[in-house]
Amino acid sequence: MVEVKNLSKRYGDHLAVDNLSFTVDKGQILGFLGPNGAGKSTTMNIITGYISATEGSVKINGVDIFDEPEEVKKMIGYLPEFPPLYPDMTVKEYLYFVADLKKVEKKKRKQMISDIMEATKITPMADRLIKHLSKGYKQRVGLAQAIMGYPELIILDEPTVGLDPKQIIEMRELIKDLSKNHTVILSSHIMQEVSAVCDTVMIIDKGKLIISDKPENLSARLGATGGLRLSVKGDKKVIFEALKGVNRINKIVRHAYVNPGVVELTVYCNENEDIREEVFYALVKANTPILEMQSLRMSLEDIFLKVTSSSKHSSLQEADGNDAEESVEKEVSSNAGDI
Amino acid sequence: MLAIYKKELRSYFNSMIGYVFMAFFLLIIGVYYFFNNLMYHLANFEYTLSLISFIFILLTPLLTMRLMAEENKQKTDQLLYTAPVTATAIVVGKFLAVLTILSMVMGITCFYPLILSRYGDVQLSSAYAGIGAFLLLGAAYLSMGLFISSLTDSQVVAAVISFVVFLFTVLMDGIAGMFSSDNKTAVIVFSVILVLICIMLYKMMHNLTVAIGVGVVCEAVLLTLFFTNPTLFDGSVRKVFSWLSVNTRYDNFTIGVFDLSAIVYYISFTVLFNFLTVQVIKKKRWS
Repeated sequence: MVEVKNLSKRYGDHLAVDNLSFTVDKGQILGFLGPNGAGKSTTMNIITGYISATEGSVKINGVDIFDEPEEVKKMIGYLPEFPPLYPDMTVKEYLYFVADLKKVEKKKRKQMISDIMEATKITPMADRLIKHLSKGYKQRVGLAQAIMGYPELIILDEPTVGLDPKQIIEMRELIKDLSKNHTVILSSHIMQEVSAVCDTVMIIDKGKLIISDKPENLSARLGATGGLRLSVKGDKKVIFEALKGVNRINKIVRHAYVNPGVVELTVYCNENEDIREEVFYALVKANTPILEMQSLRMSLEDIFLKVTSSSKHSSLQEADGNDAEESVEKEVSSNAGDI
Repeated sequence: MLAIYKKELRSYFNSMIGYVFMAFFLLIIGVYYFFNNLMYHLANFEYTLSLISFIFILLTPLLTMRLMAEENKQKTDQLLYTAPVTATAIVVGKFLAVLTILSMVMGITCFYPLILSRYGDVQLSSAYAGIGAFLLLGAAYLSMGLFISSLTDSQVVAAVISFVVFLFTVLMDGIAGMFSSDNKTAVIVFSVILVLICIMLYKMMHNLTVAIGVGVVCEAVLLTLFFTNPTLFDGSVRKVFSWLSVNTRYDNFTIGVFDLSAIVYYISFTVLFNFLTVQVIKKKRWS
């Protein structure tokens, strides 16, 4: 459906997109993931024909955007980073204009617009001026605009920015619905979004493709870390004494103090080892009940940080992210000794 | 194209700009008409129009300033340029919308000669030729305003630059008259213009060799022409400057002469600036 080959975009000396190649099959949802300025929007702008590439080609259904821009643009619906709305129009006027612009047949226009307004839940706002809408509604009107004419390929640049949590969930549902009949490319810098919706994730940094895989494979490939996160009720010394008895534990890290009488800690072991039972029995013996136990798995968030931060310091602790942890860690290691 | 045309036209009448433009235009035409034609019994409406051609300097920027600048600012250009329409269709649609508003004004003024003809003999054909030419003169200004609006994303900047450029086209005739008509002045003036063009070229392309190269080659051609055939440059400064003087082309219509060359001039001027606007949009894709 979409075929991107060796795409590059150069602004002066700055290389915004660097030799990017990928394909998207029909009915798939592809997610671009990357920090700000990674080249996500630039890539999307090139695919939609808004700007041109310095090198490389984009083909949609075998038609090159460069050779036959009009043909290709008919197949694409695009929601840019800032929804392209005319503030002085009402929602309905705007959608009629878009339908006209995208050459939707006159007979189908009315039905299509009311369907799309229904799907994006903006029907109650139909007669309001766009400038009076909230950010969330503006985003939805932008989405309605992108769906107009039901193009085969829908490209959404950060579709959930500025939405509240409920709207975000609704937006995801909507995108999933769309993928039944359309191919979708979306970008985001929020992991959960991508892992919740996308079939394939592409992590991009500094214009380069870093990794591309299914979300579940990504965490399997990069996310294997042996360890448990625990909250245990009881005295610190007793707990550490008990855990010393478990041979397979490599390291214990105590976390910031939260509740009195409850110790929060992470224990690490070798990858692919299961120490849950041993830890459980050891702590039961010490009469310190486990309140919570959770296997450590790298979330997409961590993978993303690990992959995109090129610095060598990015160890797992950092990825877990919490300033208080590091200071306590030293204290713990001096207290507990090497385990 | 039709979609954009309709949208632009509607936006002028949804906001005040369309009404303000038409009202102000008609007011000024009305005042001049009243004093010249009705009070002083002048039968030539085309002459009245020639007196108020300055009105375009003030009023056309009002119409054209937002045309492209606002799209650039609101990022709605992304919608237009990713929709299945050509850049030409976008520009022509927008141009026709502002032209329609001007046509409405000129349409209303079509009644004025008829009113005059009730009181005596009026040569209607020259009056209507005058109105038609006045419309084309306006079209030339509108296309220039559209072009300037496409260069910026601020309405105010577009309005100010349009105003200055339009003023310059009116003053051009006077400025041209100040230069002496001998051929040495001509070469000096052309050289200065050439330097300005080269500076612009460098600003646009950031390539010093190209800019200097073009400058040197053109200057060489200029000097060779000057030494081989100096009479070629006699009075040429005035000629060149008066090409740019949009207003003076209307003069023949004032005395009831149908000047075909002026019509052709206005139409080609309009087409040229519409073409340039399309090029600006296309260039934006490439930068």
